[in-house]
Amino acid sequence: MTVVAAYNIKGGVGKTSVSVNLAWLAAESGARVLLWDLDPQGAATYMLRIKPKIKGGGRKLVHGKTDPRELLKGTDHERLDLLPADFSYRNMDLALDETKRPTRRLARVIEQLAGEYDLVVLDCPPAISLASESIFEAADVLLVPLIPSPLSLRTFDQLRAFVTTQVPDPPRILAFFSMTDGRRTVHREVIESLAGDDDVLRTAIPYASAVERMAVNRRPLADFAARSRAGTAYAQLWEELRARI
Amino acid sequence: MTPPATQLLLPDGLAAAAVADALAAELPIVTQRAHAIERTFWDTFDGRVHGAGLALVAAAGRLVLSDAATSTEHASAPVGRTARRLFAGDLPAGPPVTEMRALTPVVRVRSRFLPINVLDDIGKIVVRLRVEEPVAQLAGKRLEPLPARLHITGVRGYDRDFERVLAHFDIALGLVAATRPVQDDAMRAAGLRAGGTSSKLKLQLDPGERADAAAVTIARRLLEIIELNLPGTLADTDSEFLHDLRVAVRRSRALQRELAGVFPPEPLRAFRDGFKHLQLITGPTRDLDVQLLEFGDLAATLPESEAADVVPLRWLLDDHLRAARAAMVRELGSDRTTGLLRNWAEVLDGLVDSDETGRPDAARPIGEVAGERIAKVYARMVKTGGRIGDDSPAAALHDLRKKGKELRYLLEFFASLYPPDVVKPMVASLKGLQDVLGRFQDREVQADLLRSLGDDVAALEGGAPALMAMGVLVQQLLAEQAAARAEFHDSFTAFAAKEQRALVKKTFAP
Repeated sequence: MTVVAAYNIKGGVGKTSVSVNLAWLAAESGARVLLWDLDPQGAATYMLRIKPKIKGGGRKLVHGKTDPRELLKGTDHERLDLLPADFSYRNMDLALDETKRPTRRLARVIEQLAGEYDLVVLDCPPAISLASESIFEAADVLLVPLIPSPLSLRTFDQLRAFVTTQVPDPPRILAFFSMTDGRRTVHREVIESLAGDDDVLRTAIPYASAVERMAVNRRPLADFAARSRAGTAYAQLWEELRARI
Repeated sequence: MTPPATQLLLPDGLAAAAVADALAAELPIVTQRAHAIERTFWDTFDGRVHGAGLALVAAAGRLVLSDAATSTEHASAPVGRTARRLFAGDLPAGPPVTEMRALTPVVRVRSRFLPINVLDDIGKIVVRLRVEEPVAQLAGKRLEPLPARLHITGVRGYDRDFERVLAHFDIALGLVAATRPVQDDAMRAAGLRAGGTSSKLKLQLDPGERADAAAVTIARRLLEIIELNLPGTLADTDSEFLHDLRVAVRRSRALQRELAGVFPPEPLRAFRDGFKHLQLITGPTRDLDVQLLEFGDLAATLPESEAADVVPLRWLLDDHLRAARAAMVRELGSDRTTGLLRNWAEVLDGLVDSDETGRPDAARPIGEVAGERIAKVYARMVKTGGRIGDDSPAAALHDLRKKGKELRYLLEFFASLYPPDVVKPMVASLKGLQDVLGRFQDREVQADLLRSLGDDVAALEGGAPALMAMGVLVQQLLAEQAAARAEFHDSFTAFAAKEQRALVKKTFAP
């Protein structure tokens, strides 16, 4: 079972879109997939038409008092299940802080599902916090969407430095460019500057209205616009990621 | 946690589209495009996959092992379209139910599926339905439509919706659950038994019936088992066809010996010779089959550095097996064999009505005759076994084993005449003894076989190291034989215990 966390300190960079689309594409390719929507905003849960609520809330879950298997919801894809978001996740740091070894708690929840899934995708909230550190320990791969801007690169460097120096058994970090606009010089220059970086995937996800329509249609791109420019890019991104994990 | 799933049978003549129309009026549904799937169901001759509640299905180039009732997939692997025989090692990982038996295609089904999803108020799928219209593809390209069925599969976390939809079909439409999977329907349509072909006796006798009538019932079933296993033996589908054929031949011989008083003496002598001949002509192939089936385990006892040395021996055994099999196939296909089986069937057909001269037990109740025989063979075993000591020759143990087989067969033939709480423990203690005696004799046979190949192995390229490795194997076999002999005393004591003797006397003796 491989755990991939879509993570970035910043919000609005495409974490939920990549989480939902990659989870769906992985399920399409035959894998048994779990998507855990860790963001209290519950956007991934909303896109999959599922109620953003879990019995007992996030605190009981990370304290080991709820069986995660009882909280899972099947999606419209037979091989993709969701552990839904819950508004109580906004207090995840507090809940984790009440436990021993708080940075291991999310990994423990996921370990209970070993054997049921080939891939677990975590849609993470935008922050750097105790919950983030718990995510770093649980994940095999941190998948980092980057908007091609100089400040994004700086944040990415900070993240790399933190994860590699502060996290025991750190996850592999793989970034990709998200919401790219080929007409913008800065985007082209930033993408070019990381062209040979082994931590950066080659596939970029273009800025496209089809991605925004996911929230309107409440479906992954692969389900309603697989052949759109963004849909094709996500499929390429999944293939590239699959080859790396 | 797998989502709940069930299958309901649709009434005759109800088309998939009509089902969708009927549902649309009652439930929020979306119908998807229909598609067809062709599946070939595989199993062993004796239906081990089916017996384990599993289904092994080849479709679209993949072989999938799944739960027969719920279709939950356990494992899958690629399979070629031309594959006609597979063994456990070719299978996707899963319960090793097939052991040494070959898997072959049993029945082919082409199904048209119409997927229908039941949605909730925000358009999310909460229950998956599939209307299946299956057609069995039988021999000679004959097509046989099978009862259509409705698959209902829940979605994890939406159990209430599943129950609601199920209740709708149950209450509103009165559909009933499909009690067997589609492949069973297809097998019935093809005239096959869904659970495969058993080589077990499964006899039901009446203690008051004439002994010759009971003997005919038993002998006919044994003859049926021989004939069922003959094609697989000739085609070398797997080693168990020959094994089951030989067991049926041995049982037939035991019946001819033990119930000799129900058969006319003169033809019986010829049939006893004929069945003995069948036993002889199949022996060398079976011995080599056993040697090769156990070769891996035996070779594994060698030090790692010598494991590869026995490869030439394996080749030689394969060569010998090929030659033995060719000779056996010739004999089994001969007029002598076919005539023997045909004539035996004719004798059985006319036995009960034939003259009773020379058949003193023919009209006696079978309960009486069987009890006499079981008590007598048991007593003889207790007597001869009791005489066996540490210095007794191997032949004494071999003889006891033969008698043990005779007793085992009698207990199997006549199990239905006696209380299971007497027969079962008796069979268990006999089995314990026979296992020891069997190991004692089999190891000797295997060691003798290896020794007999010594000159041939020495003449092969790489023969010298193979010969040395064979020496180790022979020693290993003889050590196992000695270990079996050491266990004899305890297993015989259990078999001949005072309580057991008293029970045998009470149950079987006249």
